[in-house]
Amino acid sequence: MTEHKDKPQGTFSRVISKKKSDFRLRLQKVPIVPGPLFRLEEIREALLDRVAEKTRDGFSEFDLETLLGEALYAERLRLKAQKTNLFTSFRYKKDQKLWNQVHQGLLRPGGEVDLQDLLKSVIQHFAEEIGGHFHPKVYEFATHAVPWGFSWLLNAASVKRFLPWGMTESLQSRLHILGEVSTLQKLSKKGTILLVPTHQSNIDSVLVGYVIYLLSLPPFSYGAGLNLFSNPVLSFLMSRLGSYRVDRQKNNDIYRATLKNYSTQILREGMHSIFFPGGGRSRSGAIESRVKLGLLGTALEAQIEGIRTQQPCPNVYIIPMVTSYHFVLEASSLIESHLSDVGKHKYIGIRDESWQITQIFGFFWKLFSSQSGILIRIGKPMDVFGNPVDEEGRSMGPNDTVIDVSRWLTTRGKLTHEPQRDREYTRELGVRLVDRFHRENTVLTSHWVAFVLFEVLRKKYPDFDLFRFLRLSLPQRSLPLSDFLIAAERSHQKLIQLASEGRLFLSEELSFSTEKWVRDGVKQLGLLHDIAVVKISEDAIWTEDMNLLYYYRNRLSGYGLSLDEGKRNLMMMGQYDSQGFLA
Amino acid sequence: MTHRDFWHNSKIGVMGAGSWGLVLAHLASHNCREVRVWLRSEEQARSINATRAHPRAMAGLQLSEKVRAYSSMERFFEGGLDAVVWALPSSACREQAQAVAHRLTGEELIIHATKGVEPGTLRRISEVLGDELPTRRLGIISGPNLASEIAKGEPAATVIASSFSEVCDAGEVLFSSDRFRIYRETDVIGVEWAGVLKNILAIGVGALDALGFGWNSRAMLITLGLSEMLRFGVAMGGLQSTFLSLAGVGDLMATCSPLSRNYTVGLRVARGEPLETVLAELGHVAEGVKTTQSVWEFALENGIEMPMTRGVYRLLSGEASVPEIVHDLMTR
Repeated sequence: MTEHKDKPQGTFSRVISKKKSDFRLRLQKVPIVPGPLFRLEEIREALLDRVAEKTRDGFSEFDLETLLGEALYAERLRLKAQKTNLFTSFRYKKDQKLWNQVHQGLLRPGGEVDLQDLLKSVIQHFAEEIGGHFHPKVYEFATHAVPWGFSWLLNAASVKRFLPWGMTESLQSRLHILGEVSTLQKLSKKGTILLVPTHQSNIDSVLVGYVIYLLSLPPFSYGAGLNLFSNPVLSFLMSRLGSYRVDRQKNNDIYRATLKNYSTQILREGMHSIFFPGGGRSRSGAIESRVKLGLLGTALEAQIEGIRTQQPCPNVYIIPMVTSYHFVLEASSLIESHLSDVGKHKYIGIRDESWQITQIFGFFWKLFSSQSGILIRIGKPMDVFGNPVDEEGRSMGPNDTVIDVSRWLTTRGKLTHEPQRDREYTRELGVRLVDRFHRENTVLTSHWVAFVLFEVLRKKYPDFDLFRFLRLSLPQRSLPLSDFLIAAERSHQKLIQLASEGRLFLSEELSFSTEKWVRDGVKQLGLLHDIAVVKISEDAIWTEDMNLLYYYRNRLSGYGLSLDEGKRNLMMMGQYDSQGFLA
Repeated sequence: MTHRDFWHNSKIGVMGAGSWGLVLAHLASHNCREVRVWLRSEEQARSINATRAHPRAMAGLQLSEKVRAYSSMERFFEGGLDAVVWALPSSACREQAQAVAHRLTGEELIIHATKGVEPGTLRRISEVLGDELPTRRLGIISGPNLASEIAKGEPAATVIASSFSEVCDAGEVLFSSDRFRIYRETDVIGVEWAGVLKNILAIGVGALDALGFGWNSRAMLITLGLSEMLRFGVAMGGLQSTFLSLAGVGDLMATCSPLSRNYTVGLRVARGEPLETVLAELGHVAEGVKTTQSVWEFALENGIEMPMTRGVYRLLSGEASVPEIVHDLMTR
């Protein structure tokens, strides 16, 4: 690596011990770290009441008839399109009942109906649906089960399983957790953590939870899609692990405000949270170039409320986390979706295989049996404005200044929530988060092989736009291996330059000889997919799937590596070049 | 308390006692409780406080009792300021920002009045201030504002641009009067680049006037120059509409006049005077001279077509005379 791996901290070093017996030991003595989420059941009712009150206050200036009417219209459409099953019909009926009441209420003459009451019942309905629970026993079970599953799978799948005792495979060799590990651990005791990971695969959710466990952090709350709760097992577990329900189908202001207020209130209560700021998995394969500001902004609101109500630890810390996979389980369907979106073609749906248990099992089996690994980098922490935060939890400004957060939140002499100001602060936080994601990205050999091959092929067809280029025939997408190696060697220098400027990290394998890292990258890319992304022979290199090659190549977009030196100055992350390629 | 009440009762600091800095201090003094002006020279600070005037920077301007000048940075910031008006030349921007960073609390709003970019890096002033100061609430005041005319109380208007509406609120209250009107804008990038690029064009217009051509040539240069400004500004992330507003075309028209320093530089250099002599005799900073080289090099590297800027660059670097440049422009 260009950076030394952080030494595992505390219990972490025990958890990832190499000895088989230690795994057994751990199963008996899991160090459950208590945290504010353990209080959730105790304060749940009061918390939901506060959420409802804040949400109502937010609509005090609104025309309630219009507000409720719009919500009713949107909800009717949603319910009409919704398919129910045995486990979701109960919720569906509750929704129907509520909106029938609202409908009837709105039909009555103005004087006969209390719109405030109607709004209150809608907000309470949403708050109750969103609000999570936390049961320590279930948490204890889950924290046993997931690592046990991982350990079992690792040792069963590992090619080293036939080695003598004491030389068995360790999770440490597969999950590399780098970066600001110790700072994260320290800050979790000084304030509230909002962990914001990049999102490539549904595997991320399992992985992030596992990383939290490995780092001996207390449990985190997180927003989980309502669709996941339709699976009874997942629903049972998640609804008791502090997760709150997020229904992306609910497209109305009342719901959005309730959700945001819930997020604000749990952060205000000091409950660490996880939130994927990209809003969903990256379709293109690129690192997030835009983030959703709505939920991100709740960190700032929680900070203001925390200071105003004189909480002992009012600070909210934003911790970016970037995961690098050699292969992504859902790559084919994601890139298909991205291409149909940007190409405006009629989308031909591909079954999203990501949540089939057999697929997940297959993913980890291949991961563990192939000597492949996943790299997770905990990024530099930031405050709610995007300023860097030191280990002591202080916000650092330019020229070694220490920022007094409350002064930044003071307008005309008053510490207050100013919607326009706070939106702007959050927008800037989003910009800085995107920059941080790119800087914390660790480039793996597979990403770089895909990038170089794609770009060398592009040079052969400089006039082709993206969609024409993706339709190259097999002979067209082959190169003499020697040509590829020369290009790989030359472009490698650009990558080293970026790493030396602190704009990204390189994996250890990229410091090997060109031929060695190329072969490693080709091998890693070929592990998961049925169709080889990149194939290599004695004298040639080619791709059998242009879409997948583009997907893995896009991991290096956003750095302007594909552009001429001059044009790079004007490039912004997430931009497309004149021929429709992600720049 | 409304924002008007707050700003009418506020303490404002103006960094820099050039002509524009003093005029802004003068305007603000009618709308707030106290205005402090910081300048390097202790002697000049004492003179301003004693005479209520600074004839070298702005002849004829009589400052109110609310304005106090300071050469000590410590005393300037003592007790805190509600807003800081940054009116220093672009070349001093980063260094001065580094020097005052630890004196700011993050609560004060910053409005800068510098129409320039950092030489070499081409970072806009608000970016430089953002890099160096522990604050985010920044804005810019820019427009067709020849300081001497505003000092005389002639009707004029300007633009305050910021992504924070409270900065625009403050600017509106602090600087507006029945002779000076404020317009709000959110396109900070566009307003800053418009203020920078028109200086280059003003040098060009001055040079053209030196040849004694009539209005047709002038109109041609200004109009084509405007589209050049627009091309560059939009490439840098500004909005097209900003360049057609008071901060763009408005400022351009005022700057292409004999009252402008940049215009004067163009006029005198085109008449054959050495650039160094002109700048030394000017007594004020002509931002366009420093900007031209940086902008031209950037445009060249990034493939942005800027023939007028190229012409001004060639004139200032002594590569070509005005007739040669005009010939090149007409036959390209």
